[in-house]
Amino acid sequence: MEPRTEAIYNKNIAITALVGILAALLLAFREGVFSPVPIYGSLIFIVIMFVGHFLTNHLFPKQDPALFILCCFICQLGLVMLYRIDPESAAKQLIWFGIGCLLYFISSFVCRTWIEIKVGPFIFFLVTFVLLASPLIFGVERYGSKSWISFGNFLFQPSELAKITFSLFLADTLKEHKIEDSIKFFGQIFVVLGLLAFARDLGGAMLFYFAALIIIFAATSRLDLTVLGLIGAVVAGLLGYQFFGHVRVRTKAWLNPWEDVPGKGYQIVQSLFAIAEGGFFGTGLGLGRPDYIPAVTTDFIFSAFFEEFGFLGASALIVVYFLLIYRGIKISLTIENSFLCLSALGITVFFGIQIFTIIGGVIKLIPMTGVTLPFMSYGGSSMVMSFISLGILNGIIMRALGGEADG
Amino acid sequence: MFELLSRTLRYVFIVLIYYFLYNFLKIMIADLRGEKSQPKETGFILLDENGNKYTLFDINTLGRAEDADIIIDDPFISSKHALIFKRGSKLLIQDLHSTNGTFLNNKKITRPLRLKENDEITLGTKKFKFLRGETVGAEDRSYLQ
Repeated sequence: MEPRTEAIYNKNIAITALVGILAALLLAFREGVFSPVPIYGSLIFIVIMFVGHFLTNHLFPKQDPALFILCCFICQLGLVMLYRIDPESAAKQLIWFGIGCLLYFISSFVCRTWIEIKVGPFIFFLVTFVLLASPLIFGVERYGSKSWISFGNFLFQPSELAKITFSLFLADTLKEHKIEDSIKFFGQIFVVLGLLAFARDLGGAMLFYFAALIIIFAATSRLDLTVLGLIGAVVAGLLGYQFFGHVRVRTKAWLNPWEDVPGKGYQIVQSLFAIAEGGFFGTGLGLGRPDYIPAVTTDFIFSAFFEEFGFLGASALIVVYFLLIYRGIKISLTIENSFLCLSALGITVFFGIQIFTIIGGVIKLIPMTGVTLPFMSYGGSSMVMSFISLGILNGIIMRALGGEADG
Repeated sequence: MFELLSRTLRYVFIVLIYYFLYNFLKIMIADLRGEKSQPKETGFILLDENGNKYTLFDINTLGRAEDADIIIDDPFISSKHALIFKRGSKLLIQDLHSTNGTFLNNKKITRPLRLKENDEITLGTKKFKFLRGETVGAEDRSYLQ
């Protein structure tokens, strides 16, 4: 890494730490008396971030440090918001952040040394299938979809892990830049989508559908399939509207939330009020009313952030997410090996669609779907899996740059 | 008290967030510039009658001028004679209004044309063959044996 770039990265790490400390100091005075808890939290965060950044930079000189810094920054803002809303879940989230960093490190390392897995696409499909089918058998129902597995107190969503295996499956099938056995290939994709729809995880199904569409287009550059896919999406949307009750509710709430403010449109209306309250500069940290918004720690954390940091803060956050996607696409463009290139693209595309879906949902650009905002929403499995995906991305770039010399 | 602090600090937060963004955008722009200034090899080459190889990059000017990418010393060739450039995954050749014209497989070209393997390009009196880099490498090895 060039010294100048390194200096910029270090500066950004310092800014992330500074934002955390300032927010913690502010929140420590919130109740009128001084309470040091948020400061401890912010110090733990800084230690994890510093150790993570400098250790990975020292061990993997060829890595892309921007990935880690960007997601630390988003996590920092997320933790500040979570602490402000509910200190208890912020503490849990901090633990998840630590575990996530560790797994980022491990998955980078495993990916760098992994000699391209020669298991073939069918195994990836099988793993995806098992992951998505397992909650149908052992799972519990939460938030209207049966896509969770519970281990005691801890809820895990296997579809988060399936995103990675699904992108590997697509990348492995399409690595020759053409679809060899189209009936089998599309059959497999529709089995995956069917499982998601069966668990009534329609947001997830949409995510997988569009990710598959984009990766197929990127790999084969076939416009006809893309157009067909988009028509298929419209048809699927109409069918969903006909047959799934809560799709109809969500769509109606999106088209006109003011029709039923205390009932179906409640979430989205509260979210819009919060955004309107924020204005350009926000109300200031701790002065908004995120407690009015339902599911504010998970789905609607962006509206809470919008309220307290304003339009300027929220649009900057979107640009930070955009930078993360930019780094991912840049990584996939620098790679010659088409399997690794498409895997990197797949992981990035999943991030991109997920971010667009949830941010678009809370600002009423598109109908609301219950997916998490990566690195910001409260939730262990989302946090951990996002870190693992980024670790894989980091491992792929290290393989490409380090080559066979040290890999 | 808390309210006042929070109202003041919100500007600080926004400045910090934008400073963070500015730093990253700076890196991004430097990245994009760096990518542009480093020409990429296309994997294709030009082979002239004497067996000289010219590696083709994304954009190549051919001519007599000293700042042409591929310099050809021939009195019948203009200083900037022709251009070979990449569009998508294909390489195209274009005549740069040269005095004596550019010929592709003995036909004079008037608009940018796509180059295929084993095409013959004629500039002035010189003839070039458009080849894939690897095929020539293989031939070279066969010479050694």
